Amino acid sequence: QKFLEAPVSIKLNNTRLTDALDKIAADKQVRFAYTDNVLKQTYRVTLTATDKSIKDLLGEMLSPFNLTYKIIGDVIVISEGGATTITGNPVDQKQVKITGTVTDDLNLPLPGVTVKVKGTTIAVSTDANGVYTIDAPADAVLVFSFIGFTTKEVAVNGQSSLNVQLVAERTTLNEVVVVGYGTQKRSSVVGAIDQVGSTIYEGRPAVNALQALQGTMPSLIIQQRSLEPGQAPNVNIRGVSTIGNNTPLLVIDGIIYEDFNAINNLNPSDIETSTVLKDAGAAAIYGSRSANGVLLITTKKGKKNTKATINYNGLVGIQKPEVTYQPVHSYENALLRNEANVNAGLQPIYSPQQIRDMQAEGDHEWFLDAILKNAWQQNHNLSVTGGSEKTTYLVSAGLVDQRNNLVGPDFGARRYNFRINLTNEIGKLKVTSILAYNRTDRKEHSFNTSTLIVDAARTPTYYDIKDANGNYLTNDVLAEFNPLGILEQGGYRQADDDGINANISAELNITSDFKLRGVLGGTLVSNHTLERVKQVNFLPKGTYGADRNTNDINYKSLFINTQLIAEYNKTFNKKHNVGALLGVANESLTTRGNEIRYRLTDPELGTPTTGTIIDPNTSRGTLNSDNTTERSLNSAFGRVTYDYDNKYYGEFNFRIDASSKFNKQNRNAFFPSISAGYRISNEDFMEDYRSKYGDLKIRGSYGILGNQNVDDYNYQTRFQNAANVYGFNNSVVSGINIAFANPDLRWERGATLNIGVDAGFLKNSLTVSADYFNKTTRDILLVPQVPGAYGAGVPLYNAGEVRNQGWELNVNYRITSKNFRHTINFNVGDSKNKVLKLEGDQEIFSYDEMQVIRKVGLPLNSYVGYKRDGYFQNLDEVNNGPKPTGLNVVPGDNRYIDVNKDGVIDENDKFVLGNPFPRYNYGLTYNLGYKQFDFTLFLQGVGQRSMFVRGELVEPFHFNYGQVVYQHQLDYWTPQNPDARYPRLAANGSQSNTNNFRRGSDMYLYNGAYMRVKNIQIGYTLPTSIAKKIGMQKVRAYVSGQNLFTISSIDFLDPEASEFNNNLGAGGANSGRNYPVPVYYGFGLDISL
Amino acid sequence: CKKLDLVPTDVFTDANFWTTTEKANSVLNSAYSQLFNNNYFFFNEGMSDNAYNGRGDNEGVASLAAGTYDPALGRLNGEWDFHYAGIKTTNIFLENVDRVSSMDANLKARMKAEARVLRAWHYFYLTTWFGDVPFFAKDPSIEEAKTVSRTPKSEIVNFILTELDAAAADLPVNTAYAEADRGRLTKGAAIALKARVLLYESRWADVVTECEKLMSGNNGTYSLFASYEGVFLPQNEYNSEVIFDLQYVPQTRAYSNFFDMAPLSVGARLNALAPTQELVDSYLTLNGKRINEAGSGYDEANPYQNRDPRLTATVVYHGYEWRRPDNSVKIIYTKPGTDPDPAAPDEYRAGGISSPTGYYTRKYYDPTSANNFLSGLNLIMIRYADVLLMYAEAKAELGQMNASVWNQTIRPIRQRAGFTAASALEFNASANQVEVVRNERRTELAMEGLRIFDIRRWRIAEDVLNGWAHGAQFGPSDVDNGYIRANQRSFDASRAYLWPIPQDELALNPNLGQNPGW
Repeated sequence: QKFLEAPVSIKLNNTRLTDALDKIAADKQVRFAYTDNVLKQTYRVTLTATDKSIKDLLGEMLSPFNLTYKIIGDVIVISEGGATTITGNPVDQKQVKITGTVTDDLNLPLPGVTVKVKGTTIAVSTDANGVYTIDAPADAVLVFSFIGFTTKEVAVNGQSSLNVQLVAERTTLNEVVVVGYGTQKRSSVVGAIDQVGSTIYEGRPAVNALQALQGTMPSLIIQQRSLEPGQAPNVNIRGVSTIGNNTPLLVIDGIIYEDFNAINNLNPSDIETSTVLKDAGAAAIYGSRSANGVLLITTKKGKKNTKATINYNGLVGIQKPEVTYQPVHSYENALLRNEANVNAGLQPIYSPQQIRDMQAEGDHEWFLDAILKNAWQQNHNLSVTGGSEKTTYLVSAGLVDQRNNLVGPDFGARRYNFRINLTNEIGKLKVTSILAYNRTDRKEHSFNTSTLIVDAARTPTYYDIKDANGNYLTNDVLAEFNPLGILEQGGYRQADDDGINANISAELNITSDFKLRGVLGGTLVSNHTLERVKQVNFLPKGTYGADRNTNDINYKSLFINTQLIAEYNKTFNKKHNVGALLGVANESLTTRGNEIRYRLTDPELGTPTTGTIIDPNTSRGTLNSDNTTERSLNSAFGRVTYDYDNKYYGEFNFRIDASSKFNKQNRNAFFPSISAGYRISNEDFMEDYRSKYGDLKIRGSYGILGNQNVDDYNYQTRFQNAANVYGFNNSVVSGINIAFANPDLRWERGATLNIGVDAGFLKNSLTVSADYFNKTTRDILLVPQVPGAYGAGVPLYNAGEVRNQGWELNVNYRITSKNFRHTINFNVGDSKNKVLKLEGDQEIFSYDEMQVIRKVGLPLNSYVGYKRDGYFQNLDEVNNGPKPTGLNVVPGDNRYIDVNKDGVIDENDKFVLGNPFPRYNYGLTYNLGYKQFDFTLFLQGVGQRSMFVRGELVEPFHFNYGQVVYQHQLDYWTPQNPDARYPRLAANGSQSNTNNFRRGSDMYLYNGAYMRVKNIQIGYTLPTSIAKKIGMQKVRAYVSGQNLFTISSIDFLDPEASEFNNNLGAGGANSGRNYPVPVYYGFGLDISL
Repeated sequence: CKKLDLVPTDVFTDANFWTTTEKANSVLNSAYSQLFNNNYFFFNEGMSDNAYNGRGDNEGVASLAAGTYDPALGRLNGEWDFHYAGIKTTNIFLENVDRVSSMDANLKARMKAEARVLRAWHYFYLTTWFGDVPFFAKDPSIEEAKTVSRTPKSEIVNFILTELDAAAADLPVNTAYAEADRGRLTKGAAIALKARVLLYESRWADVVTECEKLMSGNNGTYSLFASYEGVFLPQNEYNSEVIFDLQYVPQTRAYSNFFDMAPLSVGARLNALAPTQELVDSYLTLNGKRINEAGSGYDEANPYQNRDPRLTATVVYHGYEWRRPDNSVKIIYTKPGTDPDPAAPDEYRAGGISSPTGYYTRKYYDPTSANNFLSGLNLIMIRYADVLLMYAEAKAELGQMNASVWNQTIRPIRQRAGFTAASALEFNASANQVEVVRNERRTELAMEGLRIFDIRRWRIAEDVLNGWAHGAQFGPSDVDNGYIRANQRSFDASRAYLWPIPQDELALNPNLGQNPGW
């Protein structure tokens, strides 16, 4: 008990006794144990001591409260009353059997809690009911520890029954954070890493993991462009920093995935942690694959020494399609069409009598309403977990069944998941085996959703979709097809996709500091799609699917990832923590596919029959182009970490990659990063700060990340057979497509600087992380624009440079009062990019009326176009105002700003109008618990974004394809409404229409900022006592609502809809022809037994 | 570690490509496939006063006809890229074909000549639309393409003419090819193309020389096919009148433009290209007179009676008897309120999907076409009637039109068309010969995509592409005498005779400079 003599200097002024003890404990590396009812919070002390021994000091401090202490091992145990006994070496301690229940702050039993006799190796775990039994000396101290909860030490004091409540940890400092090829404690993380646990998936009707991840972590930007079942969203980490590929790298349980969308085949309920590596420090170990950030997923495993637990959770709900635009009444529509025609110098279309008839008849059912319906969605998961001393297991099965909101026979998607995660310890060897199977069955109509939606939406309400005999009708808008007919009878597209992931890793602990790990992971994907187009005849005319196509499309791929890793961790002199990791890996992908496409098949069976042909242009065998690829990547990587006393941290990561995608001389690349951190709050002089506020750490990193996302074989000139390009004498002949090589192709490299700070406030109940990053991507792989006179497209070149900088803020607040438990997470991130170099300095891409520009000094893909300067209000303004080349305008037409004042509106008068990439992406989660009730509110939004929307939702009677005016379009120019949102009506083809709608301008630009209530849950958990009576550990019932409402200045379209993919590449302009956003209401049940 | 030197197994690389005649031939096949396309063929007529593209802006022709375009119009860039892509393929072929050591020398000479005609063809279109353009005698580097300035049109035209002469020398005449090679360029095609190039240059004497080479029978065997309608029917592909045609094959290389051109009641989806009243009015009456000429016998109330039979072979009008593949007849009702079928799909309706002029197209309708009018009918790029008309025009311009020339050209064309009246067939020395030939050219070649080039070279676009294009007399009688106002057009003669250099090209290579007025 030498430490009792250690000298202490301390000044206490009405200090809480517990705080005083903490202070002494921290200073002198001694430890105290006591129970809350013994050391009341009201006990306060005032005294000044200089070089007093702890022994004396304790006597002085404790006696006023009639407290005493004894020494057990190296712990000072404080108890009530009695004389001070200092027991030297308790050999003849009386042994008692202690039992009790460990619960959490909700009074729910905690299974798997480690209960240890202080200073010994005696330990047990709580069982599934949170109950433990342990033999210990009567004066022992028990240590209760469990991940995610504050460790608690309780003195036995002779009691035989000890119930303990553990408090969830206020700080995340001890959280285990997944990093590349390993884990770290949150407190020692120096990279820019965010992690969320499994709670984000709970009670959410998310059909895939990405939907649930949206808004949960700053700068993990997820944009759901379409909510149709089976559609994958856009994913970006920290915005867009290259013109080429911006897709992050996906790593599941340590295995790299070639296809990022594989995450959508996971069962969200199987996910334990989702981690985003954002900076070079964290990501460089993934080298060439990491420039766009890394998403690490780990799946749940069983826990040691727990009995088998069965969990079921199920959520059943209804999805209601929300259409945000409505047509005007049928007769109004007819009047407006007449107005548009007359304004264009054409005849009116409808006679006054026809219009009166329409008014008398009223509106018919709008086609868009006719093709939509409410649809069910169900999520069910069942799992069994448990473990013995040497083995843990998790077996789970899941089902997601999302029915389609479009009418038609049994359209929707079902995904089945099955997983076994198993760990075995055999002496020094630990083997982890993971086997996961997923199957997706998706059935949808045989046509194109946006066309069906737009066809239905742009038909005025004076037409009928069906006649009294059930025939589908065509009309002057839908001359060819009727969307209801296609949906109900036009056939289907049916996908049945299987995926098997197998992952075996063997870890050998050679010494306690040094281990070797070998990992073999494989993903076998087998996709099959059957497409069947059935003929539908319409009245009075029109036929769908006259070719009666039957298509059989198969695709199979095998991806193998092998890794061999050596890891060394040691602490020297208690303060120097050193870690080193070195590994080699290979990734190989082989794909095979074939497609058979029949035309003119049997109308009933879809089988080949007389007259059937195999379409030679689109059918492809396994050996045909693009259906066979092979690629390989060899890598070596490593990490060295060092920290001193949990105060100073340093880390070095690197990876060397060699890829088959590049020519020999450019094949290898080295991607290093260095990181450093400083935990100021652990300094002695920060003691006051630490006790008042909490943790404080600053960290920084710099490194080079790579990107090899180019197609295979691009460094070689390829000559590809192209069947049936031409014919002679009525026989087809084949030609050659030449893909020109760029032999100098090399890696794209992004240099990233990251500076971050993690700070706790209010004794760590409020934690804030802030990061700033600045990334410059060089040698960007892009297809340079070459003059048409060159005569061909060119391959990718390393020909661009982009800087992307931004920041993130992640705030967590957690407070528990007597009845209420609040947790709040708010995260927000922003990124802004700028083109630094570009071959040719500028590129413009046109899609319908929309143009986007890439130009040095501007953000990537900014919208360009004319800016409106109001309208020509009178003839005088028309005569004297600037007009577009070749156009005659009239009052009520858009007037554009003439930048160079030459009287002509042309290319030289264009402005940069805005940028389509979402900025200030934020998410807010608020959890409130009150007794057995819980409430969750989840908001997600975007602070700034420009949207260019064209097509019939903006232009009345768009190109004559559409013949509807929507209610939001009624604010158009008339002499009485000179400041309207839209110009005057004028029929397609007229000079006015060309001026107003065929010239891209800020008239088409909308503010795409929004805030959406993504999820609300209200739940009730049965008290444990009642649950136990019915044989359950936990029962929670809840209601869940998704996409409940959206606040946005664009009110007629889902503000999340975008024409751009995650590389800001567009297939066309955004015409707003989206599958409507489903609003979801559901009821769920979580049961554990 | 795995091997990283992966070689694609489904494509050739430069190391193993130029080794056989077959592979080289595939490159030439690709060059043929790039020479023209069916959308340009049909929709180009919509740029002229013959037709109106009233639905969408197919290949930019609606904008080009109405004059509402600027240098950013997609068609301008599209046409530019299209031809330079074709030029590249021919250059790559010509520069590499000698690497194929095993190839027969005669075959190699012929294939090179084919490639040279194709290259000349592309430069001909480029200079016709744009005037001076970048010119490459061999495949350019990217750098060259970015910095090249335009070569004067006259120099390129000289190159075209020289190349066509050289190619004609190496190419076989049409009858010398094996049947399997039907559709390849021939000596006659090279000469006919040369005649057309010269025609567009108004080099009348040279036109006469080239046309005579073909009329003499020494450079291939050509004659007018017996039936005008039959020229465009699938059973008569490769007939004696065809000098060069774009090759299509049913189902496998086919087009379905008639899906948006034929009457809706016989299966079309909608109308995207409609003949104009102006075209209909250009057809003579059976006695060889213009409809507004005294004694023409034209009856405005019965406008389609007593007219040049080619009208019926080309344009579908109200009351038209549409012959179906099974030879049954469907009467086409385009006049509002006339169709006994209440759905009345073909009737003119302002703002509807039926024809905005009240006219549909018959020429090139393929009775053997598959669903959605998917047709493999070849599209004729140059036919012998065109040669005769070029000859007649050149002679007329030279002031040498006489009965003899007439009897070699206009007379047989009209006879073949079905005219029988002497007043239509005999040479009329007092007529304005140039006007007569020009109108004959318009009606004979209507809806074949040539009208736009003719009105531009004649410098009459500013007359015929200003004001309203009309449809049939179905409108209110107080406006334009009841003829439907279909499309208002404007043509700025100060600049529109040359297309502007496409905006994007100019941005990538400022050395190109812009055409006057743009």
